[in-house]
Amino acid sequence: MKNTRHIIIIFFFFMQSSCENFVEVDVPDQKIVSETVFGSDEAANNAVIGIYNELFKADFSNGNFRSVTLLGGLSAGELQTTALNEEMIEFEESEILIENSYNLALWSSAYNIIYLCNAVIDGLRKYNGVSEEMKAKLMGEVQFVRAFVYFYLVNLYGKVPLIQSPDYRENALASRAEKTEIYEAIIDDLENAVAILGESYEGGERIRPNKYTAMALMARVYLFLEDWEKAETYSTQVINSTENYALLNDLDQVFLANSQEAIWQISPAGRALSVIPNEPRIFILTSAPPQSNQPTAITKKQLMLYSKKDIRSEYWLGVFPTDVKDYYYPTKYRIHDSEGIKEYSMVMRLAEQYFIRAEAKVHLENLTGAITDLDKIRERANLDLIMNLNSGITGEALLDSIQIERQRELFTEWGHRWLDIKRTGMAPKILSGTKTSWQDTDVLYPIPEEERSKNPNLTQNNGY
Amino acid sequence: MQNKHIIRDRCILLVLLLIFSIGTYSLFGNNKTINFLELADYQHRVKGQVKDSNGIPIPGVNVEIKGTSYGTFTDKEGYFYVDAAPTDVLILSYIGFKPLEVTVGTSKELSLALEEDVTNLEAVTVNAGYYTVKERERTGSIAKVTSEEIELQPIVSPLQSLEGRMAGVEVEQGSGITGLAPTIRIRGQNSLRNSRNDNGNYPLYIIDGIPIVSAPIQSPGTLTITGLDPLSTLNLNNIESIEVLKDADATAIYGSRGANGVVLITSKKGKLNQGKSSLEINMYSGISEVSNKMKLLNTRQYISMRKQAFENDGVIPTETNAPDLMVWDQNRYTDWQDVLFGGTAFANNINMAISSGNENTTYRIGGSYNKLGSVFPGDFDYNKLTANVNFSHKSDNNRFQLSFSANYGVDNNKVFNGANFVNYALSVPPNAPPIYKDDGSLNWENWTVDNPLAVLKQPQDIKTDNLLTNLNISYGIIKGLRFKISTGFSKLDNEDGIKYYKERYNPNRWERIKLGVNQNYSKRRSWILEPQIIFNQTYGKINIDALMGGTFQDNKSNFLSITANGYPDKSLMSNLNAAEEVRITNDANIHYRYAALFGRMGLNWYKKYFLNITGRRDGSSRFGSDRRFSNFWAIGGAWIFSGEKVIEENISFLSFGKLRASYGTTGSDQIPDYGFLDTYEATEGIGGLYPTQLFNPDYSWEVNKKIEASLQLGFLNDHFNMEVSWYRNRSSNQLVGYPLPAITGFTSVQANLPALVQNSGWEVLLNSMNLSSKNFSWQTSINMTIPKNKLLEFDNIDDTSYASQYRVGHPLNISFFYQYDGINQETGFYQIVDANEDGRYNNDDRVVIKNMGREYYGGINNHIRYKGLSLQFLFEYIKQFNGSHIFRATPPGFSGNKPVEFLEAWERPGDNENIQKVSQSFLAIDPFYNTANSTMGIEDASFLRLKNISLSYRLPKHILKKINVKSGQIYVHAQNLFTITSYKGLDPQGGSGVVPPLRTITCGIKVTL
Repeated sequence: MKNTRHIIIIFFFFMQSSCENFVEVDVPDQKIVSETVFGSDEAANNAVIGIYNELFKADFSNGNFRSVTLLGGLSAGELQTTALNEEMIEFEESEILIENSYNLALWSSAYNIIYLCNAVIDGLRKYNGVSEEMKAKLMGEVQFVRAFVYFYLVNLYGKVPLIQSPDYRENALASRAEKTEIYEAIIDDLENAVAILGESYEGGERIRPNKYTAMALMARVYLFLEDWEKAETYSTQVINSTENYALLNDLDQVFLANSQEAIWQISPAGRALSVIPNEPRIFILTSAPPQSNQPTAITKKQLMLYSKKDIRSEYWLGVFPTDVKDYYYPTKYRIHDSEGIKEYSMVMRLAEQYFIRAEAKVHLENLTGAITDLDKIRERANLDLIMNLNSGITGEALLDSIQIERQRELFTEWGHRWLDIKRTGMAPKILSGTKTSWQDTDVLYPIPEEERSKNPNLTQNNGY
Repeated sequence: MQNKHIIRDRCILLVLLLIFSIGTYSLFGNNKTINFLELADYQHRVKGQVKDSNGIPIPGVNVEIKGTSYGTFTDKEGYFYVDAAPTDVLILSYIGFKPLEVTVGTSKELSLALEEDVTNLEAVTVNAGYYTVKERERTGSIAKVTSEEIELQPIVSPLQSLEGRMAGVEVEQGSGITGLAPTIRIRGQNSLRNSRNDNGNYPLYIIDGIPIVSAPIQSPGTLTITGLDPLSTLNLNNIESIEVLKDADATAIYGSRGANGVVLITSKKGKLNQGKSSLEINMYSGISEVSNKMKLLNTRQYISMRKQAFENDGVIPTETNAPDLMVWDQNRYTDWQDVLFGGTAFANNINMAISSGNENTTYRIGGSYNKLGSVFPGDFDYNKLTANVNFSHKSDNNRFQLSFSANYGVDNNKVFNGANFVNYALSVPPNAPPIYKDDGSLNWENWTVDNPLAVLKQPQDIKTDNLLTNLNISYGIIKGLRFKISTGFSKLDNEDGIKYYKERYNPNRWERIKLGVNQNYSKRRSWILEPQIIFNQTYGKINIDALMGGTFQDNKSNFLSITANGYPDKSLMSNLNAAEEVRITNDANIHYRYAALFGRMGLNWYKKYFLNITGRRDGSSRFGSDRRFSNFWAIGGAWIFSGEKVIEENISFLSFGKLRASYGTTGSDQIPDYGFLDTYEATEGIGGLYPTQLFNPDYSWEVNKKIEASLQLGFLNDHFNMEVSWYRNRSSNQLVGYPLPAITGFTSVQANLPALVQNSGWEVLLNSMNLSSKNFSWQTSINMTIPKNKLLEFDNIDDTSYASQYRVGHPLNISFFYQYDGINQETGFYQIVDANEDGRYNNDDRVVIKNMGREYYGGINNHIRYKGLSLQFLFEYIKQFNGSHIFRATPPGFSGNKPVEFLEAWERPGDNENIQKVSQSFLAIDPFYNTANSTMGIEDASFLRLKNISLSYRLPKHILKKINVKSGQIYVHAQNLFTITSYKGLDPQGGSGVVPPLRTITCGIKVTL
């Protein structure tokens, strides 16, 4: 009988000990753990490249249907819908339902990019495998991207949760932070980026931000905060970096990959095999509306802005004539089929910096300087110079001219017009005339309903 | 730290169990220590013959020496040979007969007669996975379907054979597409995760001891989107039985994998036949068609409805807004259901098996071919080819035993990627243009939508091959103690591709169409190794049956998805190299490992009192290193009170009475792998890395506590049997993709949710031998289940996205509806109640909660036999609701065909109709679709369905002799012959969105040579 007992006992302990180690499995070959990612310069660098790749896939930044470019363009009245697309029409009419899925996608994708940034910042801090030099550079870039995303969130939604760590346990119930708090965080991030980042673009590719990219955003942020001096200082530094930037006289060249005018661009290489940005695919009409693939066209209001002389209407607008009417569409980007990547999606470019500085100068009562900056853009568009037309223009009239020029120049780029009419307080005046059910609370998009159902601490914007 | 304590505490429990088992052994073991080899000296060879009450020898009777696992079977003349000591007791058992116990004595020849058992209860043994128990003596809840019942049904998936035959088991085929995974729920939904991609409700499938991944195989097609059946490649004719383990007592030995129940599939083994081989041939042919079609408007009715709509709206029909009135032929009529899925499918099946065996070695080799046509127009079908081998061997002295089985199956399912296909059949106007041109190609002229047959030009080809092998070796170390090692390997390869031909599109787009394919490859590999020690001993009136073992299991799966575009020609579309552009859209490898230590001890005393203790310690690679192991256990007991003298003497009509009860825990690790790891993956764009999910290192096992009590009674010599069971399963620590707001970066994270789901219910089985004589018998069995599912606890549910899906105190399978408020007598449109009176309709107004699950269900089976003629028919019944067919259509008056009920639409104030005013104004849209989500939008979908009917005739002996055949049978089987229901949609189970289940009638012949 002893035998039996021995056999059973030996068997039991043999099994017990072998079980413990058996269930250990390797990380599968499609994944690598964070520790490895932040264990070498190369992998950590790839994690940051991943963010730029994802920017081309994220809804808010990809220039597609749910991007700031398209939805902001609809909200501001640059674009109109030509096909039945309920969710777009809600943006066009500023009657956005809280369940609008485009709005949810816009919001969610922005926070996904913020998560990617926070994860890299967290990984760089937690693990020690990355060299100090690389760590600083990556930190600066990622902080820039995070500031950039928050800039849009705060301008589209007002108060938003300020998420600065990847820990979902803390973040899941975050409340909305005050706008000042968010701007402080944006400036913090940008100051660090300005301090750390180098002056040139890596490999000549304008996909990864440098010091001037951060400064350009800083100039914009201060413009929005009406800190005119700082806005002027930062934009001047960007404009003065002539080894990097120049206004291109040939308007066909502006939106090409790594053009001299580009301050920051997103490459379509973020999606495998795609060689063109989304903008030309969704804007350029390939057949008569209505059609769901290209559901928008330039509004009459936008079209009316251009005089005959203005060469921008020739270079940057196309027309699709039909029996009923002519449809206009943006042609800043062209379709370059299967010839390799020719264009990148433009995020920030030099022309805006001239506008920023001009506007700041008006407020700093340097009207001549402002006129000079504005004329730079007008000159390129083949318009008469204000210097010649009306050099005694009042500050107020000059501010109006700057806004109009911004409209003509920056249309269908990252919702510039939508943000401009909001920050200047002109939105109610301008939009109440064109949108039948306009309410002044429509200047902010609603916090998506699904988010509020998951996070009861999120309050809703007024009017929704 | 705290967690480690818990693990340690639980370890102690298992160790105690072990000590207890060894202790008991030594307590009783010392009295009677007869060495196995010594005993052999006393043994002598006994020859016996077993006959039935009519004196006809019975082959295949199981002859076992009581208290051991040594035994044999009778040969075809009813003879058996066994080495036994005079004091040994032989137990003879055979399905359909009462078991017989005889003491061997000194005689060398025994002549024995088995008494026919009117019911199967006593003789049947059931497979409990690691061990078998007698149906009579089981302490757990185990349901069984035998090969005879499986073979009655012309079906493809083994799971379909359970439909309506088992209490507590819900099986639903869902649609009439062959090869799809049926939904199976054993005693309800335990996990909150119930979506296609993330589901924690699959039972464990075990085929001949090898666990199979039970999740359906992903498929890209719209008709196959619910996933392919991982069991479809099995040969149904080679299945001996399917057992379903339900309660804690039966499932705890499967520990973490037992929470949702266990389905055990056992394949047939060779039969003892004195070395002579027999050949079994079974073949059938038949036809299938969809079991139901909806009643829709004909052309005259449709056109008058459309005209009415324009009249009501005061709009003039034009060529653009009403091509059906202004352009199309006003007299053409097409029954689109008939065109799209009204075909007749042919079914053919042939199965062959050779088996043979002598006392030492038995084998069975078989193969089958199965072909099923399709009800769709075009070249679609399902083909299955299988081969199987089973081989068993034992040494003369029974110490060494070996068995090997292999099942191999290949199937090829040709369907098409038919988005909206069923919807087309129900909604294309009856006067739509012709579908084909004169030259036979698809007609696109005047069609305002895609030609409904265009989707047939997106053929989908699904190929699966599946190998399952299993090897068991055991060796008797000393008497009563046996070492066994069981190993298995399984391999499943699936290729699933859709080709997009240009004919799928309108010819005016052909120039811009690039020919493309979408190809998926799934691979699953697994092996398992289970060493075990089995102990069996009888001490006087006490019998101990114990086992201890370990499991090492390793699963690897790979999923690869490729899209390719720009083929120069249709004929090259099977070759990726011919594509202009090839893209890998997904390539995922998953490695899962699982280890366990388990034990079981069964005690019985006087064959009256039974106790069964099981325990298992499980480890799974799906958890972080601190949370990897967990313990599960169960205890079950039974008391056959009819064996008590008091009862025997006083209640004579009670032939059998048993009380049993069990309690225990099981668990679940059915969650996506690697969720605890903080990882990055490659981005789609070049050179980038990014995190694709939030990680949580701390989640742990789901725990499912099960309790059950049952009463089994047999009356009048077991002519009438009943079993009533009550169960309650509670699942806590729910492992879910915990919903998160997108501000966290993602919308969910894997975590344990403090929610408690309860499944309780009553199961009733009745079995009655209504009439029984030598030539005629009629047996009825009825099963019924009344399930109750309830979400008991869920803290702060309102803060999660589950708030709109679940409600505490209600079943999981609920829907929220608006309160329907009749037709507005002014507008003529539907209206619903704005519950919170805020002027708009949203989730807050959906205040009516309805249980969309089954209220009760079951089956009624009858078996009538007259001489060689046998008739069986099974009704399945379910009480439930389903979405109303009315709202599958567009609002009345809009373009598109409608159910005939739309003829009775509201016309003027005072009308009391169920259909709103015929109108295609935009004002009609919201009322209609909101009402679809109201109490008006559901319909009673209860039904009684003749699931299966079978008539067979056993050829009489004199004919058999003439044609030199051992046995022969001809039969007619039918599936889904008719359904009695008030539901007006396509099918009360599938609703109106899927191809209804097929009605199949087959004729066949089965002979043994």
